[in-house]
Amino acid sequence: MQEFIQQVVSGIASGGIFASLALALVLIYNAMGLVNFAQGEMAMFATFIAYTLISHGVNYFIAFPLTLGLAFIGGVLIERAVIRPVERAPVLTLVIVTLGLATLINGAAGFLFGYTPNYFSSPFSAHTVNILGAFASYQDLSVIAVSGIVLVAIYLLLQRTTLGLTLRAAAHHPEASRLLGVRVSWMLALGWGLASAVGAVSGIMVAPILLLEPNMMQTIIIYAFAAAVLGGIDSPLGAVVGGLIVGVTVNLVGAYVVGGDLELAVALAIIIGVLVIKPNGLFGRAAARNV
Amino acid sequence: MQRIRNAPPLYFLGVIVLLFFIGLPTVVSSFQSSEWTQVLIFAIVIMGLNILVGYSGQISLGHGALMAVGAYTSAILIHRYQVDYLLTIPIAGLLTGLVGFVLGIPALRLSALYLALATFALAVVAPSLIKRPVQLTGGVQGILLTPPDPPQFAKDGFAAVTGGLGMTSDQWMYYVSLVLALLLFWLAWNIVRHRPGRAMRAIRDREVAAAASGINVAAYKTMAFGISAFYAGIGGALYGLSIGFVSPDTFPLALSFQLLVGAVIGGLASITGPLVGGIFTFWLPIVSSQFVASQPWIPTGIAAAFKNAGPQVTYGALLIVIMIFAPNGVVGLVTVGYARLQARLRGAGDRGSGQMPSDPQTV
Amino acid sequence: MTALLELEEVRCGYGPTSVLHGVSLSVPDGGIVSLLGANGAGKTTTLRAITGGVPWTGEIRFAGQSLRHKPTEDIVRGGIAHVPEGRGILTELTVDENLRLGEHTRKDRAGVRKDYDRVFEYFPVLRERRKLSASTLSGGEQQMLAVGRALLMSPRLMLLDEPSLGLAPIVVRSIFEIIRTINEADHVAVLLVEQNARLALEISTQAYVLEVGRIAVHGASADLKGNDSVRRSYLGY
Repeated sequence: MQEFIQQVVSGIASGGIFASLALALVLIYNAMGLVNFAQGEMAMFATFIAYTLISHGVNYFIAFPLTLGLAFIGGVLIERAVIRPVERAPVLTLVIVTLGLATLINGAAGFLFGYTPNYFSSPFSAHTVNILGAFASYQDLSVIAVSGIVLVAIYLLLQRTTLGLTLRAAAHHPEASRLLGVRVSWMLALGWGLASAVGAVSGIMVAPILLLEPNMMQTIIIYAFAAAVLGGIDSPLGAVVGGLIVGVTVNLVGAYVVGGDLELAVALAIIIGVLVIKPNGLFGRAAARNV
Repeated sequence: MQRIRNAPPLYFLGVIVLLFFIGLPTVVSSFQSSEWTQVLIFAIVIMGLNILVGYSGQISLGHGALMAVGAYTSAILIHRYQVDYLLTIPIAGLLTGLVGFVLGIPALRLSALYLALATFALAVVAPSLIKRPVQLTGGVQGILLTPPDPPQFAKDGFAAVTGGLGMTSDQWMYYVSLVLALLLFWLAWNIVRHRPGRAMRAIRDREVAAAASGINVAAYKTMAFGISAFYAGIGGALYGLSIGFVSPDTFPLALSFQLLVGAVIGGLASITGPLVGGIFTFWLPIVSSQFVASQPWIPTGIAAAFKNAGPQVTYGALLIVIMIFAPNGVVGLVTVGYARLQARLRGAGDRGSGQMPSDPQTV
Repeated sequence: MTALLELEEVRCGYGPTSVLHGVSLSVPDGGIVSLLGANGAGKTTTLRAITGGVPWTGEIRFAGQSLRHKPTEDIVRGGIAHVPEGRGILTELTVDENLRLGEHTRKDRAGVRKDYDRVFEYFPVLRERRKLSASTLSGGEQQMLAVGRALLMSPRLMLLDEPSLGLAPIVVRSIFEIIRTINEADHVAVLLVEQNARLALEISTQAYVLEVGRIAVHGASADLKGNDSVRRSYLGY
């Protein structure tokens, strides 16, 4: 039983990581109907930036928000430079552009930071705390806490501020929003910036667990896809719920049923299962189907 | 004589290219022949991918995984059941085609984006799925294949043409691949030219309208998946045979992506595009890493780092630039450029004739 | 005195098809002008050209400034509120959020509060349904929301594209009354595109009739109303 609770807590922590990246995907999907295949690589790059800052003596708790800010700027720049020229292109073009971006960023990370895995130390020790008779590490709890804070912050931004309102308006109704004076093009860029920052959280949270190297996020993105698809690709709430479910399920199934090496296959099964049974996921409203 | 004079210049170009490929192994080393075998294999797979993406409008980021199915089918048949290697190729193709057809059924319900996502996930997970049944697939080690010995008639023919040179297994595989590539090219050309091709194009452009005019959309779309998987299976089998082994890591996500890129850069919905795509897919990583290293004005430190990171960065950047400026790919650019040149030579008198520009895929 | 809005020889179209073949019209400051004509005559296109939704040649001036090459958001922020065909309601958002978008660029918060009071005075149903999704509103209520939102933009000119479309006559009357009130109280000019010519002529001082991309008739509304042959040939009644 103890081990079970540990697995669950661990699963929730993983879920927080998946949820953050999934939320980034959802933000961009909402903004332009596009799945950003480069989201994981962008998160990885941001994490390297955090790592570099920390290696040069910057305190973790300063480097973290600083990195988020830089990630935000990076996301805006990417949208302006790379996405804007192909904003209205067909889906296939956009998919290829984001994949090209992913390749580029991965290569750039390798070029700038090298391919040797790095140990990313987190200020949260691996010491454990006793919960319901089981031991949960500070590490896991901190991941849960940070993810929670970020997700709540995004929620408040989107739902309670004017900026959030214009972001949502531009995402769902670009033409009508223009007629109300919303600078839709810039909203798109801001959406990318926000998504980039949120994705960066996921990378920084996962780095102490995995080793930091350019290919670090390639499996995480699959879990994030599963979370976003399960929750509904256009629902931020879905990303959170989906992330938690995926995190716990993958952990439990991997521990008790199929073995750790097939955890990724579990994610695939979730994706295929959802797309076949209920393509809109739990909370989604977008048309996952063809017209 | 008249027909030859009236034949479009592209036919002549095609003949020249064909002669080039037939004669290639006689003038280059065996190793270089094997490189060009890879180009042909990629071209075959991209032909199939083209039918799926360019003609029927569905995306697949998982064709590397389909190649794996073909490669492992062939390898397992040879290794465990001692089936003749040439026979395993069509079997691999058909089996993979069936898999593709079956995948095409749930794919019907997915929008382009979701299809991309699902096939992406498939490609990422495939290696770990292959590793599991160790008895069958050899697990992480994979399966080793002995390179096939060329049959006597081929050796004799080769010696006759080259003045006594022996034919290596690599060169033999090159010719096997070439023959298959030509056959499959002919097959694809026919599919595209006749009703299936027209139906698929109609579906790609306006699915609702196509359905309304009586086209069985579901049948054609799943058929497209099946056909393109068939091509991938054959390509995969050839791939395994030509490099001498199959392993889970021979077919990573990057391969699926490179194939899609090759299809797009070659030019979607064009028949000659796949060849350009195959060339591009194989040569770019090599050229870009060698190119940078060989430039004297780039300091060695950067050149070395670029060698590791270069191909990817170049790949990604090139891809983005191409999608922004030439979404119809190289062949599209060439076709459009050629058409414009022709128009200018003829005299640009028909501005106002209101004619629609010709379909770029009428090659 | 120069007109608030001036169009000179405006031509535009979609791709190879040309829709407007040289349209000239003007809207005086504080006036109500109607743009009439049959379906496909180009009325909606004219409005879209004004707010930059479709490329055009010729000249369009608002308050003396040319609108050429100005993006839609900037034109609208300059004082033109455009209620498009279909009303442009953001159905993913609530009624309140739609209204907030109307005033989100304004700096004068006191003025905004006053305008909210007026909007709810004209359209009480909007206050009742404030927190609900805009998609739950009926056609007439959505039109009210669109007009209320336009009012919150504090514009100098309102472009209304077929406000009567699909609405019951009694609802249409009340909306038109409110439009007239807004025009008189706030000195807001109105360019009204309508197929319901009779209603449009009642509320407007001037009218233009568009036929296949050209202005066929132009004059004071009273004159057009009284002219039987014009009414029969161009206005369908």
